[in-house]
Amino acid sequence: MSEPAVVVNSDATEAGGTGKVMIEVAGMDKFFGDFQALHNINMKVGEREVVVVIGPSGSGKSTLIRTINRLERHDRGSIIVDGVELTDDIRNIQEIRRETGMVFQSFNLFPHLSVIDNITLAPRNVRNIPKAEAEATAMELLERVKIPDQARKFPGQMSGGQQQRVAIARTLAMKPKVILFDEPTSALDPEMIKEVLDTMKDLALEGMTMIVVTHEMGFAREVADRVVFMADGEIVEVGEPEHFFTNPQEERTKLFLSQIL
Amino acid sequence: MTNLPSNTTEANLVGEEPIVVERSTAPSTTLAPVDWIKQNLFSNVRNSIITLIVGALAAIAIYSGVRWIIGADFEIVRVNLRNFMIGQFPRDELWRPWASGLIIATTLGLVSGALAHNAYDTAQQMGVPAHRDSYPQLVRRFWPLIAVMIFFVSFARTVLPYIGLASVFVVVLLFREIGWRLPASFRSRVVYVGAILAVLSMLVIAGTSNLGGLAMGIIAAVWMASEVGRMTPLPGMAGTLRTFGLSALAFVIAYFVVALIPFDGFGWEDWGGIHISLFTMVIGITLGMPFGILLAIGRRSNLPVIKTASTIFIEFVRGVPLISLLLFSNLMLRNFFPLSFEIPADLTMAIIVITGFSAAYIAEIVRGGLQAVPKGQTEAAQASGMSPGKVQRLIVLPQALRAVIPAMVGQFISLFKDTSLLSIIGITEFLRVTDVANAQPAFSGKQLAPVTYLFVAIGYWAFAYTMSRESRRLETKLGIGVR
Repeated sequence: MSEPAVVVNSDATEAGGTGKVMIEVAGMDKFFGDFQALHNINMKVGEREVVVVIGPSGSGKSTLIRTINRLERHDRGSIIVDGVELTDDIRNIQEIRRETGMVFQSFNLFPHLSVIDNITLAPRNVRNIPKAEAEATAMELLERVKIPDQARKFPGQMSGGQQQRVAIARTLAMKPKVILFDEPTSALDPEMIKEVLDTMKDLALEGMTMIVVTHEMGFAREVADRVVFMADGEIVEVGEPEHFFTNPQEERTKLFLSQIL
Repeated sequence: MTNLPSNTTEANLVGEEPIVVERSTAPSTTLAPVDWIKQNLFSNVRNSIITLIVGALAAIAIYSGVRWIIGADFEIVRVNLRNFMIGQFPRDELWRPWASGLIIATTLGLVSGALAHNAYDTAQQMGVPAHRDSYPQLVRRFWPLIAVMIFFVSFARTVLPYIGLASVFVVVLLFREIGWRLPASFRSRVVYVGAILAVLSMLVIAGTSNLGGLAMGIIAAVWMASEVGRMTPLPGMAGTLRTFGLSALAFVIAYFVVALIPFDGFGWEDWGGIHISLFTMVIGITLGMPFGILLAIGRRSNLPVIKTASTIFIEFVRGVPLISLLLFSNLMLRNFFPLSFEIPADLTMAIIVITGFSAAYIAEIVRGGLQAVPKGQTEAAQASGMSPGKVQRLIVLPQALRAVIPAMVGQFISLFKDTSLLSIIGITEFLRVTDVANAQPAFSGKQLAPVTYLFVAIGYWAFAYTMSRESRRLETKLGIGVR
């Protein structure tokens, strides 16, 4: 190894993308009872940046992104999304949730509503967009995720991959500034993972700000601007994908990568 | 995609479910009767013994039943048929119950036709096989109800009831056809029209009262609110104010229009028979449902006052027999009214009690349904920025209610049978008419009680069984239990 030694970088507070900070997490702790799930998380995500969070299960990755839209309440520190600080005030929470989309591992489509109603529900009820306009947007989004013919179906009639693409369209319908992906492909059969990842790649190329919790290392390598490795509720190592996968510095990172690759 | 039918979401929220899951049953291989008997009834020694014992018992029951019916004298039912149906309603005002019945038939036909068409359209859009019920299929679907109505009328001594029943059937079918053919935009509003017609049918009998005005006003306000919601909503406070203002205006207008009609009608004290049993059940359900849903949500509330109050109410009412509550309404509730206040009729107070009673049970059923909705559903709705109220109303409740339909209908059936308890506070409901009839000079001491009880039992059974069948049909349609 003739390369100069790289200093281990566990500092995630240099926002990428356009440089404008979209999400800022500072000194954040999260407890579940006595168990501390997150330790002193400091992270910034820039506009148009794609950050992939990896790590063993139980490392707090999902908890981290769930605190950003207050599906979990953080106990210490601060979270600021696009200039709005997340407090206990319901109006603040709603404002952040409006601008922050989330895609879940188990899709969480609404089974009692058709695909088009799933997509138009939030725009119509949160943004007060007229029905016709909301449906036109929904059809465009379905084109974009390549399933326009499924608009009248119900979630139960579709494959997992199709459901997850509807879930992405549902999130996009709110025109969010950030999308949080919580292991979006973990509940899918292998042959469907690609169609969902392709949709996510398209989004990244179009400049969407994304935080993606995933085990898909290929995706991380290809799409991520930065990779954040978490273990035991801490950010252990941060880096660009190339550096991260070829030349990890921390022992825990090396161990994890050797297990997963 | 601007020409999408506007009814789908509304239809879903109203509850007529579009998913038509045609469950293919295993192809039944037809066997010759002899082979079928051999295979199913006498396949082995144990099966044969069971068949013989059950067969013998059934034969004994049928034999003695038939022998008793042949010997029985149904004159008491013939004489009292009117009492069984409508109690002591003034004889020269009989057109009122008939008119009321025809209005209800109109409502049923119109609403069922329109909703069936909506469900059919939605199923077609989804590419699910759907069909419109043909008349023979309708008859098969509602045969217990049709049969029992014909059975009731067969005891009539004049021709008028036959004509009346025939016109009820004709009106139902006619308006079902009309409801089916209404344009889609009308069909999504037909529930409100139906509700207004239903209250109207009450007004024909009971006359205009403040209650009638109140009911009409509430319907008008809800209708207005949904119309405003259908139009391009104005965001923020202005939209809310407009919705609220227009709804309040609709309420006031409807209330005064009804209150201005100068007709006092016939009060509840004149009512009786199966009419009052059905009426009490319908009121108990329509008022108990919203109240029960609120109680269920209240019991899960984070606010200690609401949570405790809901829990105390539910647990108190569920822990006390309905009879004691009814007696309480009759003997004690009047003491709670201010002296200047006119004490309501016995039936009014009984209905208050029955509404509260069914609400407590419905609340527990709904609570089970609420718990069954996965947490991810709430999270997905919250994550999109919906307010807590909308998360409950648009996401959690529709799924919860759907899951508890069978239990809910079970509750409705037992509520219907519980209306027989109204007799102990002196209301001549369906079952109580048997006592009245057997006390008449012409029949007293003739041991005719079994005849009248049989008649009443058949009446209760037909309505309860129809509800149970419809519930199972809905269950199949919704795919509950076949997830």
